[in-house]
Amino acid sequence: MTSPSKSRAKGSALGALARRPETGSLLGFAVVFAFFAMLGGPVFMGAPGWSSWLNIAAEVGIIALPVGLLMISGEFDISVGSIVPASSMMTAMLSGHYELPALVGIAGGLSVGLIVGYVNGVLVSRTSIPSLIVTIGVMFSVMGLTLGFAVLLKGSTSVSYVPDALTKSLLGQFINGMFNVSILWWLGFVAVFFFALHLSPFGNWIFALGGDRQSARNAGIPTSRVTIGLFMASGFCAAFVGVAQVMTYQQANVAGGQAFIFNSIMCVVIGGVLLTGGAGSIIGIVLGTMTFAVVNQGIFFAAMDPNVGSIIIGALLLAAVISNDGFRSLTLRAAAK
Amino acid sequence: MKLLTVLATSAALALSATYAVAGSHGGANIFVVGGKPDDPFWSRVKKGAEDAGVVAESQGGSVTWLGPQNYDNLGPDAAELIRQAIDQGADAIVGPDWVPEAMDPAFEAVVAAGIPLVIYNAGGIEAADRLGALNYVGAVDYKSGYAGGEYLGNAGHKNGACVNTLPGAANIEAFCNGFNDGLAAAGGNGSVLQLPATAFGDATAVAQAVRAHVLQNPQIDAMFAIGDQDTNATISGIQQAGKAGKVHVCGMNFNDSILANIQQGTQACAIDQQGYQQGFFAVSILNNHVMYGTTIPTREILTGPGVIDASNVELVIAGVKAGAR
Repeated sequence: MTSPSKSRAKGSALGALARRPETGSLLGFAVVFAFFAMLGGPVFMGAPGWSSWLNIAAEVGIIALPVGLLMISGEFDISVGSIVPASSMMTAMLSGHYELPALVGIAGGLSVGLIVGYVNGVLVSRTSIPSLIVTIGVMFSVMGLTLGFAVLLKGSTSVSYVPDALTKSLLGQFINGMFNVSILWWLGFVAVFFFALHLSPFGNWIFALGGDRQSARNAGIPTSRVTIGLFMASGFCAAFVGVAQVMTYQQANVAGGQAFIFNSIMCVVIGGVLLTGGAGSIIGIVLGTMTFAVVNQGIFFAAMDPNVGSIIIGALLLAAVISNDGFRSLTLRAAAK
Repeated sequence: MKLLTVLATSAALALSATYAVAGSHGGANIFVVGGKPDDPFWSRVKKGAEDAGVVAESQGGSVTWLGPQNYDNLGPDAAELIRQAIDQGADAIVGPDWVPEAMDPAFEAVVAAGIPLVIYNAGGIEAADRLGALNYVGAVDYKSGYAGGEYLGNAGHKNGACVNTLPGAANIEAFCNGFNDGLAAAGGNGSVLQLPATAFGDATAVAQAVRAHVLQNPQIDAMFAIGDQDTNATISGIQQAGKAGKVHVCGMNFNDSILANIQQGTQACAIDQQGYQQGFFAVSILNNHVMYGTTIPTREILTGPGVIDASNVELVIAGVKAGAR
């Protein structure tokens, strides 16, 4: 649907590349990386620099993948911002406060995400309330519940937990003292989501849903189940990041996580996903995430004012949307030839 | 008819609720403006305020906590909460002067309405004097930061950086200025690492920023962070930079994991402003003032700074277990 059809192979290779949805994101990443490589110097180009922005990219990237899929299907998920602290609280509470095995804590944390995602999905597919509003509502409820239960059960708003060596090495270790193990998890998630969106029939359903929900339903696609599944995926991924943060920082906190809401949306949009649904790709989302992370970390290596970083992110976001429109009209014109 | 009865009942309920707030029972209804209730530090302040509120409640009064949903728009949001407290008929108000430019007009409105006011947590006695408040209860942020800088400087660490995750907030800037001055007094010099506002509350963002900063500035051997979470994240960033043991960290406030860090030696010191006491004394002073007209002649009630390091950490842990800290 977004890739150029085979009969158009006569177009030049360059033209075909320009029509790929990822091209804009790739260009953006290359420019940003070159810019900070120039300013950041050898430390930024070395392992410390790479691991620094990859660690950031991995966490926001794990959440950006399902958020991107949801956006392709025409939905938003704001609630990820409260699932991250809720799941890390659950894990630390079960394994740290009640001293249950790590596996129980992890399972508990992840199921928080799945349950919240299920509630989101059911509310969005059974009512006509826009997902933006549903997930904002759910976010505040989850925030309140997290705080309430934390104070009720622990009497404080933060819980410490020191994981055993195996759990720590799987979820919170710094490989070589620098690279967070979550980078590997991110790659795993990328593979799974790539398969789901681009290789399995499920992916076509997601695109169809974002294109026209009514037609998708008429064509026999189980729209409600797809929507619920996507929201559960984003809940799960947000919970995964929450659990991994407990293992990394050995502490859970009811606050925090809010940054992931806008950051994940920005990664997705910079990655070329159409805000109104129906277009986007996993490679684009990954590139968008990497661009976001490079800017975020690059400013510290370049010793720039952090506010400049925010300006660059904002400008990139707008540039991404404009160039997406440009590339899309290019694709449509090529297809109409 | 039935609908009318329902409406009348709910109107009556609403009215009685309003009266309860307005203080028809004779006690003092005290409104406390503070941080997010889910902020670890502020939950302790809130507990102190509520514990002091037990006395107010026994006299028929109440303590109501008003906190912002987030810190994105701190000054205006907090000013709005102060005005809300006035509108809800507070008999006395406690509030922190975080962003004087935005909040002072609201505090002036409190005093103009004849409502007794205590400034706590941020602003210092200067704010209390300027605004006509009864008193100031709290640690002086500048002195807390100073204590941290002095401690690290005296330990022989001369190049410092203060992690500011909330640029623009007056109290955080005072912490950092104090830290730099304290360090300078001990013969070192300090700088400030400014983070974008989006990093607040995101441990990974803070850790990676710290890490990049210490890698780019290898001369840094001392850091100061404000709050439990930022301190933990700062330590993680230093470890990831391979600088554990080379860069020494002091932080504001403490919790279980901070105390464990101090025991293990991964953190040099924690500066305690004893938040519980801030809430407790601010509410007590106002309750006694409203009920009996008493005043505290001592101006500027200091609740900190207290330095926690390896030498006294066991005592503090015992205090936590006893519920005193």
